[in-house]
Parts: sequence; structure tokens; C-alpha cells
Amino acid sequence: MFERRLYFHIDWLLLAAVLLLAAFGLTMIYSTTYVTLPDGSGHPGPRFWVQLYAVGLGTIAMLVFLALDYRFLAEHSLALYIGLVVLLVYVLIGGKNAGGSTRWISLGVFNLQPSEFGRLALALTLAMYFGENRRGAKNNSDLVIASMFFVVPFLLIAKQPDLGTAVTLVPVAFGIAFLAGLRLRLVAAVAIAAVLLAPVAWKVALKDYQKSRIQTFVDPSKDPRNKGYQQIQARVTVGSGGLKGKGFRKGTQGQYKFLPVADNDFIFSVLAEEQGFIGVLVALGLYLFVILRSIEAARLAKDRIGAYLVGGIISGFAFQVIYNVTMSAGLAPVKGLTLPLMSYGGSSMIATLAAFGLILNVRMRRFTN
Amino acid sequence: MSTPTLMPDDRRSLTLRLSVMQYVVTAAFAALAISFWIFQIAQHEKFREMAEENHIRRLPLPAPRGVLLDRDGKVLVENRDSYSIALVREQTRNLDETLNVLAFATGTDEEQLRETVARRRREPSYRPIVLIENASFPQAVAVEARQWELPGIIVQHVPSRHYPASEMAAHLFGYVSEIAETQLQKAEYTGAEPGSIVGQAGVELAYNKLLMGEDGTKMVVVNSVGREIGKPLGEDPPKEGTRLQLTIDADVQQAAEDGFEASGFNGAAVVLDPRNGEVLAFTSRPAYDPNAFAGGIDRATWAKLNTDDLRPLQNRALQGRYSPGSTFKMAVGLAGLEEGIISPNFTVHCGGGANFYGRFFKCWQKGGHGTVDLRHAIEQSCDVYFYTVGNMLGVDKINKWATLFGLGVRSGIDLPNEVQGLVPSTAWKAANTKEKKWYAGETISVAIGQGQVSVTPISLAVYTATLANGGTRVTPHLVKAMDDGQELKPVPPPPPQSQVEVSPEKLQAIRDGMWLVVNGGSGTARRAAIPGKDVCGKTGTAQVISNQGRTAARTTKNLRDHGWFTFFAPRDNPEIAGVVFLEHGIHSANAASVAKHILEMYFAKKEGRPLPPPPTREDMRLDLRDPFARGAARPEGDQ
Repeated sequence: MFERRLYFHIDWLLLAAVLLLAAFGLTMIYSTTYVTLPDGSGHPGPRFWVQLYAVGLGTIAMLVFLALDYRFLAEHSLALYIGLVVLLVYVLIGGKNAGGSTRWISLGVFNLQPSEFGRLALALTLAMYFGENRRGAKNNSDLVIASMFFVVPFLLIAKQPDLGTAVTLVPVAFGIAFLAGLRLRLVAAVAIAAVLLAPVAWKVALKDYQKSRIQTFVDPSKDPRNKGYQQIQARVTVGSGGLKGKGFRKGTQGQYKFLPVADNDFIFSVLAEEQGFIGVLVALGLYLFVILRSIEAARLAKDRIGAYLVGGIISGFAFQVIYNVTMSAGLAPVKGLTLPLMSYGGSSMIATLAAFGLILNVRMRRFTN
Repeated sequence: MSTPTLMPDDRRSLTLRLSVMQYVVTAAFAALAISFWIFQIAQHEKFREMAEENHIRRLPLPAPRGVLLDRDGKVLVENRDSYSIALVREQTRNLDETLNVLAFATGTDEEQLRETVARRRREPSYRPIVLIENASFPQAVAVEARQWELPGIIVQHVPSRHYPASEMAAHLFGYVSEIAETQLQKAEYTGAEPGSIVGQAGVELAYNKLLMGEDGTKMVVVNSVGREIGKPLGEDPPKEGTRLQLTIDADVQQAAEDGFEASGFNGAAVVLDPRNGEVLAFTSRPAYDPNAFAGGIDRATWAKLNTDDLRPLQNRALQGRYSPGSTFKMAVGLAGLEEGIISPNFTVHCGGGANFYGRFFKCWQKGGHGTVDLRHAIEQSCDVYFYTVGNMLGVDKINKWATLFGLGVRSGIDLPNEVQGLVPSTAWKAANTKEKKWYAGETISVAIGQGQVSVTPISLAVYTATLANGGTRVTPHLVKAMDDGQELKPVPPPPPQSQVEVSPEKLQAIRDGMWLVVNGGSGTARRAAIPGKDVCGKTGTAQVISNQGRTAARTTKNLRDHGWFTFFAPRDNPEIAGVVFLEHGIHSANAASVAKHILEMYFAKKEGRPLPPPPTREDMRLDLRDPFARGAARPEGDQ
């Protein structure tokens, strides 16, 4: 299955950049969870170790998804897709509840968050569907079928409720449709419809807490103690970092808990605070490199399935990175959207590394038949 | 496997669209980099300050107030470490919930907490508002244990005022409490901030500026709920208030308190050193417990203190005005001598009363005193003698000499809110009454300290001291020494208010009379005698209401007479002088009993003898018969 010559086609630079970002994330989690004991000594919190294990498991998952031919996986994508839908349904019935939403399946040792694997399954399914189709996505009935693939997991995840993760399915589906030749006129129509439907969605679809998040974003000072608080604190955290940052474990905003969920949603803010603008540029540079390099992999792909698969995965990844970093600077409504490769979260880390396994996979097999 | 490879035009379209993706992503990242540049470089200074304000707090370190010592160095008023629980509104998320949890955790009244917050809502929100002063240890622990439920609630370690002898000399020491909003603008409280603990009465108020010291500050790192983390960044230590050594002698003070306690009466006592005006003891009763104020007085106690008919907050020694009764007679006698109207040998025949201006004025002794000279008239407190002398003098000459000896004027003691008494004169009447004209008949009552005459106990003490020391109207004062940072440095006594030109022989005649009051065969205060100490004194009874009025009054209000005893000792070179005032004490002899215990304490201590134990009620030999109670026939006059 894994021919020796494929080894020479692995994109080592991309792999290094991905693992470097994961290492960055681990460093920041080490910093934010560090516990100082009264005698001056201390140790990182348990979340650091969990994340370290997740990176290990993720690396294994990456190797698995690298070793199996992506076409083999695409052919069985429908089975993977159905498996995902079953898991998502199971979550709603027998999942583990925490913080008001049911997202996890308890596996004893750790909790699995199936929604994090949604992007992967959807990307494989849609890549297969459009890639197999010689005409591409030029026809409206194709679009309807493709939309069905998207809508089912989207609704199941949104129902948990976890709108943040559900929304990340949108760029995956959209990215693949776009690459498959979705007519731009249609894109414009969808955008207009979205704008027109927004007021209806506001009234019908959004929950109160979601509405208040958006309201607060428009004017954070209206509610500086609660929702707006996070946004203002995010800006203070980032801004106070300056050029060089306050130093490792020396950030005051994250360390003294002025900024909530510092090891998760706001990990990039903490990076900005402790490592400064220089750290921000390095991290942003790495992310941009990873994304552009992945798009390059799509361009080099031997077939449409490979190109669509990489395009879908990297669209979701890019969307998540851009949104999270924007939010970290207090420039977007606060949403439970993590920063892939850096935020704390085992399922997310494993799913993301597996996804990069697929991207490496496509590039590696560009010459094979 | 029929995987289609990419056709050339397919690839062209795909490449184009992938390029679009690349440009969009690159543009987004460029925008992000610019945003971070704006926040982190361009606006860095602003956000750096905001982050610092977030986590660096300047906390006040309250200065301990200066300790008060007695003249021998015994601690009278000190400070105790206590906890206060305060709120930093800036750090609360939900004020209502926080107060609710706090009230539950500490067992306090939530309404009262809310009122405190409302009262100080205009202050900056970073300044701690003390909600529970003098919190108990369990309360402090309860708050610490729930710190995550109580964001913005902090436990401060503060020194609080402690009065070990509780009610002793309460009016002298005064009390402290949080500064009132209306006091903030006042000059005497400059330097105080909202929430400062300041003196509100007595020495605490008079010497507030010295006693307050200077608060320090501490810069600490706090987390998002306002808890201090780690070591302070810097500290500007507080400067403790100045230690004051008072002129008060704790034992003599205690003796005065014990005397009152045994007598069961309220009133006031002031004991001075007639040589320099040092106050040895100063009491007003009923008293209050100043400790109740130090910890933030609760509303019920405050209301009770204010509505109590006995008015425990009033400083009777300084603010109570009463007829001096017969204690006034020395002033009249001295005026007669100094104005050349009588000599000490001038005699008057007392037949139990005399006629003046068509009206019969009784002597307190129904049978009369027979023929008495000045000395014996003082000894037996003969009213007719002083009616006669007063009539010969006229009211203005009485006024002149009484004023010279300190009656009807303020003593100048270093305590706030002293009230002025009144010794009438024709000028006073013309200026202050509707009637304007002084009638000679009015002088007769004035001559025995009745009528319009009113004095404060402190002024009567100064008058007695001035008689004792030969005419130096000393200024009563409370501070003997002050801590200059290293040691107690004596404070020079304030200069006397005046020096009265008086002939020593004439004054001696008056003092002889006062010696006879205590040591003579018919003296009115023989119970105050201490062998070998030549105690001198004078009794006085002050009517609360005229006899007719008392008989007619249909009230349960206490209308019994007040009792006075002024004293000094020894007769030659006196070193202690003072006054005991028993409110509704019925007989002035009862006041002499209290004074005797004070004198015994003073001399025992001075001579190193064992100190006398607190007197029992029997020791006081109280005379509680009320000869003038309703229904009983009451003779006019005074003893």
C-alpha cells in the first residue's frame, strides 16, 4: 500500500509547518494552564498533557490517512459519511452534556467530539460526488444533492447546539462547489438570498444568546461587564502585547483570567500578549504558508477528487483560522470557534492532523495511477 | 477504477479558481496583520495602560490611630487588628447577586449592605467600599472560601480603635467612625477621604489630625475577581498617628467612675491639678461604649443612644448647664471682700430668713443660723448672710468677680463643643431680655447661685481651682506629652486664661470657710474629711424646678434636686481641685461621698499606699430622703 518511492514525494515543509503550529499551541497551553504553587514551584495543568496526547494520536491518525490511498477513502466516503451521521444522532440521544450543550461521546478515557470529524467526512463525500461527475457542478440538480450532503450534518451539529462548529461545514461545501465550477452568478444569488433572509433568520433561527453576541459585537461598550467584556478584554490582551510581548507565562490578561477561555477560543490573543507582534507575524506566516502550500497541493493533484478534497479541507481550515484570529483581536463576534492546530481540544487536533494527512496524501500520490 | 484525470480546460478553470482562493486568503491574512499592527504597535500604549489598570491595584493601607496613654503611661485607647470586608464595584459582574451571597455567607442584613453601596455610589468604582467593619474571623473565612462566587469582595486587614475600659471616660475620649459626607468639606478633616475613619467627639475629634496619621498604599497584582496574587509590587507604609500622653490619671478616673457607680446617680465630675490646669479625671454619666462606634455602629444602638431620655451622648461636664446653688457663694463673698464692702469679720444675724424689697427670702435652715461671720456663713451655707452681702454688692459686682474666677465663661479646655454658662448682669439683661431692666430683688436669688445663674461642671472646676491656687485661672488641658517619633516629648501647658488680682488674706478667709465646710463642727460636707489632708469644699443644691412648681407638677419626670460638691486639697498648697455633680442627686452630701473616694484614691496613689477598693453603696452613706417630694412641705433657700 505504501510504496517506498512515495516517501520521496511527502511535502516535508508542509508537514513541518503543521507540526510547528501544533508545538506553538502546546507552548501556549503550557503557559495558560500553568499552576504556580505557594512555594514558588509549579507545573502545567492537566490540559497540557491531554493536548500532548492528542498531538500524538493525531500524528498516528495523520499517518493512517497518509498511508491509505485517498481514492480508496473517497470510494468509501459514503460509508464514512453515514457512520458520521449515526454518531451525530447518537450524540443527540446519548451524548455527554457540558456547559449547556451535548457534543461529546464519553469513551471513558477521553470524550470524542464527532462534529470535529464532520468536515473531513463531508469533504471526502463531496469531493467524490463532484469528482466522479464529469460535468462538474454545472447543473442545478447536482447542487441540490450536494446541499443535502451538507445540510444533514449541519443541522445535527447545530442542534447540539454548536453553531460554531456547524458553520465550519459551510466553507468546506462551498469551497468544493466553487472548485467544481459553481457558477459565480449562483454565488451572487446565494449571497443576496442570505442578506434578504438574515432578518428572518434573526427572528426565527437564532437563540437569544446568539443574538446578544451579535448585538454586543456591534457595540461592545453597551455591556462591558458581560458579553462585551470578552471583546474588550481581547483587544486589551492583544494590544498590551506590543512588539515583543510580555514574555512566556508573563501575560497578565491571560494569566490572571481577565480573558476567558484563554487556552481555547482565545489562545491566539494570549500568543499575541506573550509573544507580541513578532509572534503574531510568525504564527500568521506559518498558517498562511500551510494554506497556500495546501492550495498548491490541490493544483498539483492528479485528479479532480484530489483537488476538490484538498480544496474543501483547506477552505474549512482557512475559514476557521481567519475567523478565530479576527475574533482574538476583538474584531468579530465571540463564537465558540477554535483555532485549528493551536486551541485546546483533542478531537479537533486529531481531526485536523488527519485532514493534513489527506492533503499530504493527495500531493504525494500526484504521480501515481 | 474510473477516476477521471484532469482534462486541460478543466485544469485551467481549476487553476484559476485555486488562484482566486490564494488571493482571497492572502488578502485576509494581510488585513489581519495590519489589524494586529494597529492594536499592538500603533495603539499599544493605550492598551498597555488598560491592561495595567486591569491587574494593578493601589490599595490603601490604613494608618493605625495614635495610642492614648494616661499620665503614667498606661494604655487608655489602642488599636486592634480587625478584618473589614469591602466591595470593589469595578470587579463585580452582578452586584445584586454578589450582595445576596455576601449577606448569606456572613449573616448580615442584605438591605443594609445595599444602602451602604447606594450611599457611596458616586465614588470611583475602583475604590473599595467597606461593607462590614470589624468583621469576625468566621466572616472573613466565609468570604475567602467563596471568593469565586464573590467577585469584587475583598477582605482587608485593618487596625480598628479599641477602648479597653469600654465606658470609662467615654465622653473624654470620644469615638471614631467613618467620615460623613458633610464632614468631607470641613477644614478640620482635610486629608481625609471617603471611607476614612475619623474622630467624631472628645479627644478623638480635638486631636484628630495628629491621631489619624497618614495612610499608606500598596500596589498589588489582582486577578479578574480582584484577589491579590503573589507579593505586593511596592509598598508605601502607613504612618501611625501620634501617640498622646494624656494628663488623665487612670486610677483617679476609675475612682470617679466607681464613685458614680456606687452612688447610682448620673452626672459629671472634673478633677484638675490647680497648679497647672492638667485634667486628672473627667467623666460624664450615663456614658456609652465607644467600641460600638469603632466597628460601625448598628442602627438599633445608634437610635437607642439618640432617643434615650437620659441622653448618654451628651457630655454633661462640658455641655450641661445647671444652677450652681451654694457653690456660688464663694464668688459673692470674695466680691464683697475685694470691693471693700465687707471684711471677713462682717456678721449677719440669721433668723431663718429675711425681707428684701418687700418679699421674704427663707434660709434653708428653718431655725436660722444665729449671728454668723463670713467663714461660718460658708461653713453652714447660710443663705441670709449671702442675701445680705449680695444685696449690698449689686448684680454687676457679683458678675465681675464670678466671671474673673471662670464662671459664665468657657474654660478653654481642648475639647470641642464646650458650652458657655451664664452669670447675669444688668448689661446682659438689657441686651438679652424683653424686660431689659434689672430689678434689685433679682440679685437676692443670684447671690445664692439661683435665678438665672447657670454653670457647666468644667467651669465650676476651674472656679474652684482658681480659688485654690490663689487666683490663677488655669486652662484645663488634656495633653501632657506627645510622641515626636522617638520619645514622648512634654507639651508645655497652655497659658492661664487670666491672673486675678486678689489679696491673699481675703482669699484665705474664703478658703478657711471652705475648710470648715469639711472639717468644721457644723460643716455641710463633713463626710468628705480625710484626716491630715485638710480637704476644703463647698456643697450646693440646684433646684430643677421651683418648689411651687414641683408641688403642682403632674409628671413622672425626675424633678429631684441636683447635688454639687466642689473641692480642693490640701488647704495649703493645694494640688487637686474639682467638682462632682450628681444629677437629681437629692442631697449635695451624696456628691461629697463621691468626691471623697476620688480624693482618697489620689492621696493613696501619691503616697504609695494600697489603692482603696471601689466603694460599696454602704460606703457612700447616701441620703436618699427627698424632703421636697410632692406633698412634703418645702422650705425656700438652699444649703
